[in-house]
Amino acid sequence: MNPVRGLLLACCLSMSLPGYSLAAATPGAAAPDFALAARDGGKVRLADLKGQVVMINFWATWCGPCRQEMPLLAQLNTKYEPLGFTLLGVNVEPDSAAAVTWLQGMPVTFPILFDTDSTVAGSFGVEGMPSTVFVDRKGQVRYVHRGYKPGDEAKYADMIRSLVKE
Amino acid sequence: MRKSICLALLLCSAAGATGCAGVEPWVKPYERQYFADIVMSAERDPVAASYLNHVFEAREGARGATGSHGGGCGCN
Repeated sequence: MNPVRGLLLACCLSMSLPGYSLAAATPGAAAPDFALAARDGGKVRLADLKGQVVMINFWATWCGPCRQEMPLLAQLNTKYEPLGFTLLGVNVEPDSAAAVTWLQGMPVTFPILFDTDSTVAGSFGVEGMPSTVFVDRKGQVRYVHRGYKPGDEAKYADMIRSLVKE
Repeated sequence: MRKSICLALLLCSAAGATGCAGVEPWVKPYERQYFADIVMSAERDPVAASYLNHVFEAREGARGATGSHGGGCGCN
């Protein structure tokens, strides 16, 4: 190949490369700690939940799949709660009024936390909505699930079962 | 020849400077509600805007040339 042509090709290829950003919540890494205000008025800190399997679900009312999976998450929570499992729903909206109103008609019993300035979503490197992070009993991120489509709740249940057994 | 190599090198360095840098500011997946803000809408009044667009299209004989409707055949 002509060297000039090769250089041009290399330059074209380099332009097509996307900007890299390292996601904070990668499986195997320690979950970044946070303390957020909860819907019931208290505060929830992730470090306090060490020893439990924690499933962190990032959601918003403007996100259709998030609304769709919410009742299924509530079912998962009631089913696995006795086994040392906690589900945290982190709402990422700057104004949580819409979430509070929407939740009134929902059978959601697990803690809903308000990440109004998106710091927690940022520290977990949320790459899609909804995003679900599974943290094991030692406080390590084990699985990260992006998005939701019908049937994914079975995958969630598998992940929870495998972590609860440890 | 030398000139073209220099040009290629220059292009390469320019590409290297831009290609690997993240574009900022970037709307994160969890910030998408900002797209629904009123300041993001191209037209404040969609009814008046569609009427004005119709007037422009009729006056300029450019029916179907704007927006995404139709293929520019002037038949819709």
